[in-house]
Formats: sequence, structure tokens, C-alpha cells
Amino acid sequence: MTRVFVPKDSAALAVGAEAVARAFAASGCEVVRTGSRGLFWLEPLVEVETPQGRRAFGPAAPADVSAILAGDSPLALGDIEAHPWLAGQTRLTFARCGVVDPLAPPAFEALARARDLGADGVIAAIQASGLRGRGGAGFPVGVKWKTVRDAPGALKYLVCNADEGDSGTFADRMLMEGNPFLLIEGMAIAALAVGAARGFIYSRSEYPHANATMAAALAVARAQGLIPGFDLQLRIGAGAYVCGEETALLESLEGKRGQVRPKPPLPAHSGLFGRPTAINNVLSLAAVPWIILNGGQAYDALGHGRSRGTKPIQLAGNVKRPGLYETPFGLTLRQIVEEIGGGTASGRPVRAVQCGGPLGAYFPPALFDTPYDYEAFAAQGGLIGHGGIVVFDDTVDMAAQARFALEFCGIESCGKCTPCRLGSKRGVETIDRITAGIDAEANLALVEDLCETLKFGSLCALGGFTPYPVMSAIRHFPDDFARAPARAAAE
Amino acid sequence: MTRPDRLIYMANQIAAFFAAQPGDAAIGVAGHLKSFWDPHMRAEILAWRAAGGEGLSPVALEAVARLEAAAPAR
Amino acid sequence: MARLLDFDLGTPQASGAPVTLTVDGRSVTVPAGTSILRAAAEAGTQIPKLCATDSLEAFGSCRLCLVEIDGRAGTPASCTTPVAEGMAVRTQTPKLAKLRRGVMELYISDHPLDCLTCAANGDCELQDMAGAVGLREVRYGYEGENHLGLPCDESNPYFTFDPAKCIVCSRCVRACDEVQGTLALSVEDRGFDSKIAAGQGELFLSSECVSCGACVQACPTAALTEKAVIEIGQPERAEVTTCAYCGVGCTFKAEMRGEELVRMVPWKDGKANHGHSCVKGRFAWGYATHRERILEPMIRASIAEPWRTVSWDEAIAYAASEFARIEAAHGPYALGGITSSRCTNEETYLVQKMIRARFGVNNVDTCARVCHSPTGYGLKTAFGTSAGTQDFDSVEHADVILVIGANPTDGHPVFASRMKRRLRKGAKLIVIDPRRIDLVRTPHVEAAHHLALRPGANVAVLTALAHVIVAEGLVDTAFVRERCDPEDFAAWAEHVARPEHSPEATEATTGVPASTVRAAARLYATGGNAAIYYGLGVTEHSQGSTSVMAIANLAMATGNVGRPGVGVNPLRGQNNVQGACDMGSFPHELAGYRHVSDDATRALFEAAWGASLDPEPGLRIPNMLDAAVAGRFKGLYVQGEDILQSDPNTRHVAAGLAAMECVIVHDLFLNETANYAHVFLPGSTFLEKNGTFTNAERRIQRVRKVMSPRNGLEDWEITQKLSNALGYPMAYDHPSQIMDEIARLTPTFAGVSYDLLEREGSVQWPCNDAAPTGTPVMHLERFVRGAGKFVLTDYVPTDEKVGPRFPLLLTTGRILSQYNVGAQTRRTDNVLWHEEDVLEIHPQDAEDRGVREGDWVRLASRAGDTTLRARITDRVAPGVVYTTFHHPGTQANVVTTDYSDWATNCPEYKVTAVQVAPSNGPSDWQARYEAMSERSRRIVAPESQAEPAE
Repeated sequence: MTRVFVPKDSAALAVGAEAVARAFAASGCEVVRTGSRGLFWLEPLVEVETPQGRRAFGPAAPADVSAILAGDSPLALGDIEAHPWLAGQTRLTFARCGVVDPLAPPAFEALARARDLGADGVIAAIQASGLRGRGGAGFPVGVKWKTVRDAPGALKYLVCNADEGDSGTFADRMLMEGNPFLLIEGMAIAALAVGAARGFIYSRSEYPHANATMAAALAVARAQGLIPGFDLQLRIGAGAYVCGEETALLESLEGKRGQVRPKPPLPAHSGLFGRPTAINNVLSLAAVPWIILNGGQAYDALGHGRSRGTKPIQLAGNVKRPGLYETPFGLTLRQIVEEIGGGTASGRPVRAVQCGGPLGAYFPPALFDTPYDYEAFAAQGGLIGHGGIVVFDDTVDMAAQARFALEFCGIESCGKCTPCRLGSKRGVETIDRITAGIDAEANLALVEDLCETLKFGSLCALGGFTPYPVMSAIRHFPDDFARAPARAAAE
Repeated sequence: MTRPDRLIYMANQIAAFFAAQPGDAAIGVAGHLKSFWDPHMRAEILAWRAAGGEGLSPVALEAVARLEAAAPAR
Repeated sequence: MARLLDFDLGTPQASGAPVTLTVDGRSVTVPAGTSILRAAAEAGTQIPKLCATDSLEAFGSCRLCLVEIDGRAGTPASCTTPVAEGMAVRTQTPKLAKLRRGVMELYISDHPLDCLTCAANGDCELQDMAGAVGLREVRYGYEGENHLGLPCDESNPYFTFDPAKCIVCSRCVRACDEVQGTLALSVEDRGFDSKIAAGQGELFLSSECVSCGACVQACPTAALTEKAVIEIGQPERAEVTTCAYCGVGCTFKAEMRGEELVRMVPWKDGKANHGHSCVKGRFAWGYATHRERILEPMIRASIAEPWRTVSWDEAIAYAASEFARIEAAHGPYALGGITSSRCTNEETYLVQKMIRARFGVNNVDTCARVCHSPTGYGLKTAFGTSAGTQDFDSVEHADVILVIGANPTDGHPVFASRMKRRLRKGAKLIVIDPRRIDLVRTPHVEAAHHLALRPGANVAVLTALAHVIVAEGLVDTAFVRERCDPEDFAAWAEHVARPEHSPEATEATTGVPASTVRAAARLYATGGNAAIYYGLGVTEHSQGSTSVMAIANLAMATGNVGRPGVGVNPLRGQNNVQGACDMGSFPHELAGYRHVSDDATRALFEAAWGASLDPEPGLRIPNMLDAAVAGRFKGLYVQGEDILQSDPNTRHVAAGLAAMECVIVHDLFLNETANYAHVFLPGSTFLEKNGTFTNAERRIQRVRKVMSPRNGLEDWEITQKLSNALGYPMAYDHPSQIMDEIARLTPTFAGVSYDLLEREGSVQWPCNDAAPTGTPVMHLERFVRGAGKFVLTDYVPTDEKVGPRFPLLLTTGRILSQYNVGAQTRRTDNVLWHEEDVLEIHPQDAEDRGVREGDWVRLASRAGDTTLRARITDRVAPGVVYTTFHHPGTQANVVTTDYSDWATNCPEYKVTAVQVAPSNGPSDWQARYEAMSERSRRIVAPESQAEPAE
């Protein structure tokens, strides 16, 4: 019986992978459902097991099944791992994603090794690796864990932030759908390091497939006793972007309204239910097993500047080759967008890319030589964030994008702090006046003042970062804000 | 004379409490009556005892016996 | 005169080690954990703020209080940033000024511009802050999307919620959570659409809001505003005074405009309430101006006649002549007086003084007879003092809280909020009550153990708890050895350890599973500081005094007396129950709980009063009524109490009153007792007189006259007039002189004076040379009586037993919005929450009787019967029914019996065998009483007014 690998990842399901899987099964194949390899323009990307190894085809439709099985399909891609897009990557976190059956538990070698190292050894390895929080803030993971470990009190918690809400990002989802045990193992190691006996994965209701896979994997872990002494539970949020902010997430996890808490106190001192809590992103935790098995120095050997290790970059928007690309920090934005992404899907020139989610800055091509690195991006007023990169061609209206940023802030604001609650609405209204040609100059100055109020006055990063897309759009694309006055002048 | 039902009831209630205490219960009951009962009430219960004291528990009877009969006439 | 506006330091006080920092270059030292905002305020720098207030934890939402800190990036909010040693804070920089104006500009872009016609004009923090940050323009204009058109919620009778004026600072929500603990408010929706919601988006009135007023108090704008402020305007002056409702003794600022009371605002510096309030004290003061209030004296020769309005002189002369006539005809023992726990210490003292000194008899009693007299007896026996051991603040240190026979969230709501706050912080709760009171399960609070005992089984349960403590070796032997009488303890320990007192043996009697009793006993004995709070569910039983002593035994055996966080704490029903008892209202003792038979004490008073005193105890209230029915008691002066409605077995009370020749009722309203009265002396409300109240924690607090008495005289003046007319001269010019006399004659009050109260705000007795500023926690080193006394507490079942005719047990209580007989609260909008008394009955008992929700039912006992509506609920256990006694139309006390506490005659209100059956109308008694009441309340106008106008 021929064994065929068909992804069950949401990105593949969205383009018909389920029908393809059924067609292979109907043809008498043994179908193994995997995660995605992350080459989204080739999904559904199926692999057929042959004596020479796995052979890939894509994008596959049910009608292609017989040709694929017959060996004469024009969709043949050969050994996908040799494909330049994959071969160019350094897959540490995503090494097994898209390859294995997500629900077949691995040996948890890293966890075993971590037990030998003990909590101090684990923290030392993580500190040596230079791993920084992959959720966006880039805070050193080892320092956070040590703070929780040293915090007084017997009861501590570990929380995984899987509320991946940034537009154009999907790495957390892919990992949970493609290799959930890696996250479970990473969390078990983290729990050992910080001294937590209970952990929570806070995911989002918009990820039904990831949640189903994660829940099934947790059930397997529990049934097989894979993580003894560690009670790990999955919790699903109810659709608020702001609950990706760690303190709002903790409020939500406690059963309360998802509202941001002031810091201090830091969650590491007083987090979930007032207890010391390590809260980390999926990608931070999933990076841990590799580091434990290969040593902190090996991870630290990769990267650029103070940004060490690899980053799973998520390419999306108007791009020819969208998908997940894990690579050490340091590529330039141009390499990422043009060489890896292949430019726009529309074939038109790239006008802007937004990095780091809906609250990240827009980069014009003039800044495409910026290396992908926390500090280098910050120097240009930009964000690495969760690693999302969204590409726009030259038809984009950047005033509309600036308006969207404020509108998004307004829709997703928890409503606690005044700048975000009221400022987002007033920002949209003011940009509307600008684009309508009403007192454009004064209103642009007002938007700038508003952005200052948002940036320095907001309680959390939602309001605090909204100025990045707005101000970068105004600064780099001023013409888009002057169209109405120009039209008015022309008439 | 009319039977002072309420006073008999109260005296028996008090007696039930002191009967459960260590020591001489009747002294306790008598002290309580002296401290808290108005002289007319004491006179009435004394008179009832003199008439036979029907209805009073043994401890209550004993206590009333120890009450000074010298209640002022009112 | 108090400050109208309180000084707000922004965040609560911290208690860490001293930390020194500079604020704008000025050095200030504050405890670690203090916010920068508060540190700045203490240094005299007002950082602009809106969401911060020092009664609530910092929240960090308004973003006005941003500061810069040298060496730190950004502009952190000063309310949520704690101070650090050596920190240099700058509160005024160009950057901060611009940010604050930017925030204010946003606020005002979504706020109505009607300041001049706004009810909060002059008392609006938003207005103040706009000025403080120098806002000069709103560049966004006022045409943008806004909340100005949202409908106003006027459902609550006392305050409005106008969302158009709301700035979503969440102070109301946080006050409801943190201060009140009801969690009725929340923020609905998010972002720009965020708005305050009561319950699940309901109206305030229909939500679980308890109308405590904390949200109104916290609101910085006119979003939540007292309706009285909207109607009258901002107050112009304020006086601090003490609430006249329950025994918590909240202090309020009575805020006045001229002679009109605008609002009562809980006083932040009040040591009993710390700035919190409940619906009664905060809002239910309208009875003072209710149209039914009687303002002129009235007399009549017989109760069959209508009342005749007369002058003060005529009324006083008539009353005095009647008492003199009765004295001449029947002797002085036919006369007596009843003081009230609702009146001031000074008024109470005068009433008992007048009766004792003028007539040479001790026929005085007080309504504490029917509530906490067993507390007086029990605690005096065990500890040596007839009072609770702690202050309210003590609850902050309790690890285990045992509530027995009390329903604090209804009866003592402000203290209940403190208790709930402590419970939310992790203290454990044990509830012993037949009914599932709110405290058993309320937001974020759940009792560890609820011992839902059969009514009347208190002593059995308490003794079973003692059994577990002794049998399982949980006694604090060191405490007992050092502090208690060893022989008494040994006898007690041997006694309670007997198998018949075990939880297993008593389970059938108590109805409480033995395992629950054992678990509760272990928790109480071993859970750290354990404090007992109890109420009338303990005292109002035939073994009320025994229960109080059983409680004292538990506290002593486990070493839970003599420090903060522990103790035995009676929750007093009325405002001045403690004070009325302290003042010598009981017939057997003079002020300070000294027996009338004590020659030295009597000599002291005789010398001071210039009168000879009776060494024999006088009649207690029930004995007075018995004596009246027997024809020996003829004249009664009742001040501020409605014994007909509040005392048990109404028919017997009515018979007693009807048998008297002169009943003088001194009250605000023609109450039920007045139906049997011959002289009515109109009283003054607590707003109209000077004096003091003593709350449940022995705290003496001033009552201040904020307006002149509408009836013309303060109550103490009325008693003084009567005394003078009776021939016993009194010549006080001010109640402070009465207090001076009390202090001279009473060792525990020796240090008390109005000057001291002015200086200290309040003081807890004992207050004397040994404790010049009072005594928060008693029995610290030793018990007042010397060694603590263990008393054996055998369970004696009440004779009020269920049987075929009366198979259910009735127990009674009260609810939040109403107070006692309802004379005050029924004459306010509080009736919106409780229009009538209802009978709670378990679904099973209801079904057995064919009773449906809301049906009229006849509630009958061997004493009498009444009708009321049924409410079907599993709050009560099968076999138990429950009602309140707030409404005279129901007359719940028609049903209660004359069984009473063995030691004090405190009535057994809490246990009556009853039957319940469907009914279609008022009982015969209710119909007859209604007709009689209507007849009795007739008033004929004075002749001068009856003449036709020319």
C-alpha cells in the first residue's frame, strides 16, 4: 500500500487538502496527515513515499491524484528538502513540522536531558543561548525564568501565549498543528526550570484546528505519562487581540475581562492569580528543546548582533512565495522580500512592507537594506515583533493603511486607558479629515500629537505601538496624505 | 391563689441551667432570682412554694426555699 | 464643621520600610510600596489624576498622572509605579504637560459641554483636571462619534447613571468590587464602546446592585449623582455625624444647604466604616421629613378617643399629672420606662435616671432586652465585660471567620464588606445558620463549611464543636493555663469530651453531618487567628445566654482572645444597643453594669442624683407587660421603641398596653405602640440633636445636630422637661454635660468627654486613666474578671416543638434595605426593594401544601396567625420557614411566642412551631388590628385651626 503524506495544516485545508486526502484514500493509499512544510504557494503539497524517499507534488487537487500515483504528474517537485526554499533555511524549531504525524509522540530526549541538567543547568543553557522572547518584546528568556525561579512562594505558574493575533502571522498555529509535542516538551522543560507544577496554553478560538491538535496531543501526553508532575492545560480565548498582551492574557485566564494590568508588578513576580508566572510565546518555548539538546553555545553561534539563533519569518500579503521561513537573524529585508519572497504576487513593484504585525512600521524600499535584527529594526523605527512580514505593491493607499492601523487599535482596544480608547477613534476621524482635504496641515500635526499621546501615554503596546504604522506611513509616504488637497488645488 | 405559670416556667428554666453546673445548683438559682427578679416576682414564687410549689422542679423548689423571705411588701 | 471636599492622596496607604525619594527636587520619605502619586501628594505636589483615588487600588487607566523618572525610559503612570530609594521624580516637564493636555483633549472631545447646568458643577474632578492641565482647545472638535446620546438610567430611587458624563475610569466598578464586594458593575464591550454596565446590562435597580453608594462616592464626574444633588444643588457645609441605623456605627458627613440635608457621605476618617456605607445610612434618611412625622405633642384620655394636638407645656403637664395620679393610686412600682437603643447615650441615661431617681424604682428596661441581653449576661459571666472583645479593624487579621446566627450582608452590610474583603484575601469562613445566607456563597467568597443546623440547636452544635476540640487535642493549653480558671476548665473539658456531646451523637438533634462539625472545629482551632461574629440567631433563643457562653468557651479553649484577629464579636442590631446597655438601662444594674444591690455604687449615684435608690431589681419589659395584665403596672414612658411591633406575642403585648392607664410614647411617628398610648411626645431625628452613640465595637461617636429639630426640641430636652414637671429637677444645657456626669459616675467611661471625642474622632471604652484614648481590643493581658470562666453548656431543647398541628419551624430575620420595625425605612424609597414581608419556604414544603410562588399563605402558631405572600426557595431547609418583621401589616410577631432566654427573658424569636396553608386574605387579627389602628390614629385639629376662615 502506498503511503502518502497530506498536510492537515489550516493553510493547506484552506486550499482543498481535505479533498485531496480523501482522493488518495479512495485510491487505496495509506494517508498520513502531517503539518505544513510552510511553502504555502505549493499547498496542498503532498508527498508520496518511494524507495528513494519522499517525493513531493504541489499544488495538488483531487484530479491530480491518479497522475501523481502513476508517477507522471507535472506537479512533481522531487525531494522537497532539496528545494532551494527549504534548503536555504536553518530549521531548528520547525525541523519536524510538516514531516511527522503531529500526534505521534517523540522520545522527549530534551526533557530527559533537562532533568539531568536540573533547573539551574537549564536556565544556564538558555541564558547562554541568547534566546529572546519570540512574541515580540525580545526580552531574554533566561533572565525571565531566573526571576520566576527566584521569586518567593511555592506556587508558580507557566503560561504559553499562543494567542497569535497579528495579521500575517501563523508560526504558532503551524507549530501547534504540525508538531504540538515540541511545545509540550519545551513547556515541561520551562516548568522544571521555573518551578511550576501547572501550566496553561492560552490559544485562540480562531484556531480550531490547532486547538484540536493541541488538545489531542495533551491527551496523549497525559495518557502516556510523558510529562509527569506537570499539569498542562489548554485554554481558549474568546477573540480579543489584546489578550495576546501578556497581562490581559492573564486576566482572561483568570476568568476576567481581558484588560491590561499595569506593570509593575511584573508577571514574573505577581502573575496568574497573583503568583510568580513565566509567560512565554509558543516559539520561545518551542526553541527550548533544541537548545537543551545542542547546548546554548550552538544556538548562540547563529544570528546577528544581539539577536541570536533563528527566527521563523512569516511571509504574507502580496508576495509570490508566501510561507514560513526559519533562518538565523541577519538577512536584509530585501533578501527576505525579493529573493525569498520573490517579489509581489501581482508582479507589480513592491511599495511597502509591514513588519511585526498590524502595529509594526511600514518600510519603504529605500530601507530594504536594514538587517533583520531587533536593534537594527528599532533604529529605523520598526519592529521584528512576532516575525510577520506583509508585502504591498504600488497600488496600496498608505493613508488608508494609516487609517486602518487606528481603526484596528480602536476595534481591539480593551478600553482601559484613555489614549487608546478615545485616541484611536479620534485618529480615524482626523485622518478622514486629512484625506478629505480639510485643514490637512493642522490635522496632520494633530495626528502627530495624538501619536505622541498614544506612544507615551498608553498603558500597553496596543496603543503604544499604533503610532508605528501611522507615523511610518506619514513619514515615508507623505504624498498619500496630500492627494485630496492636491485634487482640490487642481480643480 | 392563681398559679403563676410563667414564673414557675422561668424558675424551672433557670434551675435546668444551674443543675448542669458543678457545685450547689440551688445557690446559683437563688442568686439568679435575687439578682434579676423584681421583688414582687420573688414574693409570688415564694408564696407559690408556701402553697406547695406544684410544678417547680426540685432544684427550683430548693432555690426558692433559700431565697430570703424578706422581700419588701409591695 | 467638617471639610466639604476630602483631600485625596490618590492611592491607599502602604506599610513598608521608609523609603526616601525626591519629587521635583523636594525630598520625601514614605513607606515602601507607596505609589509615586501618593508620595508626591504627601510632599504637597498634586499630580493630575482621574482614575486614582485613595480608597481604591491603583488602576492606571486615565494616563494623566504620568511622570518622568531620572534614569528610566518613558513616562510611567505615577499611580501604579512604586517609589524606590533615591528615585528622582519630575512631575512637571514640557513633555508631561503636552501629554496630559493630549489626554484631556481626548476626554473633552467625548464629554457634554454643559458644565454650568451640570449637577456636579463645582464638584467635578474632570472639570478640575481640565483646569489643572491648562486645556485651552479641543482640536478634534465635537462632531466626532461620541456617547452623548446614551440614555440615562434613573431606575435607582437615590441616584442616576448618566453614561454621557461617564469617563470610563472604572472607579465605580472598582468600588463595587473592592469596597463593597458585590461585583455588580462591570465594563461592557471594549475600546471606544466601553461602557459601565450594572449586572448583565440591566438597570441599576433590577441588577444585583445593593445601592450602597460606593460607586456614586467614587465617581469623579456627574455620571453617578445623587438625585438629591440634582434637585437641590451642591451642598455648602458639612458636619460629621453618626448613622442611626445598625450597630456598625458608620460616620457620615451630613452635607447641607441651609437647613436642608443634601446628602449623607460616608466619612473617610470614620473608624468604624472607613468611608463606606450601605443603602440605609447613605440614602434612607428621607423619613426625617416624611409627611407622617408627628411634629406636635398630642394627648387623649383614652385610646378610644382621637388624638388632640396640644402645646408642649400642656402635653408635659398632662403626662406628669397622669404619672403622679398613678403613683398616688397604685404606688411607684406601677410605673416604669423603656429606653431605646436608637436614642443617644445621653437620652437613654436621662430616661433611666428619671425613673430611678424620681420614683425610687428600677422599672427601666431597654429594647436590648429583646436582642442582646444574653450577650451582656454571657460575656460578663465568661470574661467579665458585657461587650464584644474586638474592634472592627481586627477582622483584617483574622484567618478563620466563624459567623453564627448573623447575616452580616443584610444586617451589618458595611462590616460585611470588610469581612468579605478579608475572605477574598484568603481567610476561611465557617457559617452556622439554618438558612443559606448570602455569605455562604457570594462572588469570590464561599464558606469552607456551612453548618445548616435546625433552629434551636445552637448549644448542641457549639458543644459538639467543643467536643472535637477537646477530644482531638486541639486545646491551646498554654493559653488556658495562663488565662483561665483551671478548675472550671477541667470540669468543662471533662464534660464536653463525653460521648453524648460528640458530633456523631448530636447529629440527629442538630441536623448537621458529624463530619462537617468535625471539619469546622478543626479549622476553627487550627486555622490561625480565629474570630467569631454572632448575632441574634444566637441570643434570641431559650438558651441564648448559654449559647453566648458556649461561644466564649470555644474562644478561650483555642486561645482566640486577647489580640487582633480573634475574639468574640456580637454584631449589634441597632445603632446604640451597646450604649443603651452601658448607660444602665437594665432594671438590675446602673451605668457601667453595676448591680443595684451594690451599696457603694448606689451610694455614689444617690449622692450625685440627690435621690434614694431602690436596691432591688425592677421589672423587665416582659415582666412589665405581665404585671400590667395582672393589674399591677399602670404607667409606662416608652422612648423611641415600638414594642407592639417588635416584641414577641403581639396579642400579649397589646393586652398589657391596653391594661395601662397612661402610656407615653415618645417617637417620630404614630407607631403601633402609639395605638395604645395616651400621650404622644414627638421626637427628634438623629439629624436634629447632639449626643453620642456607642457601636458594636464599644466605639463612642458623636451625633451632631445638623439642623434644628422640626418638632421644636431635642429628645433629651423633652425628657428633661418631663422630669422637671414630675418634680425631679434637671438643668442640663447641653448633652456634653450629661456625658460629663456619666464619666464621673462610671469608671469605664471616666476619660470620656466631648472634648476628647472632638480630638480623637471617636473612642472605644474602657476609656480612663489606664487607657486615655480607649481600648480597641479587650482582655489583652488578662480577662477583666481575672481568670476566664468556662461554663458548662448542656443542650436543653426548647419547649417550642413541632408537632402535627405546627410541623414547621419559623425563624425570623431582616433584610438589607429595611431596618427593624421599618418605622424609618418604610418611609423612604427603600420600600422599592422590599414592599412587604414574605415567607420563605422550601419547594418541598410548598408543594406538600399546594403553595405556589407569590401565593398568599396563612402562617399560624399557637400564639396567633397572620397572612403574607410565599417565596419558594431552597435557601431554607425543608421543615424551616423564614420571614422578616419590617412591616406592621404582616405583624410577624403575632405568631412568635413568649418563650424566652432562661437568664434574661430575651424572647425566642428564632424558633416558633408553625403551620403554613394557602389563604385568600388577611387573618381575623390583621383585619381587626387594621380597623383598630385606623381608629386609634385619628387626630382632631386644634380648635383654632378648625374655625372657618373669615
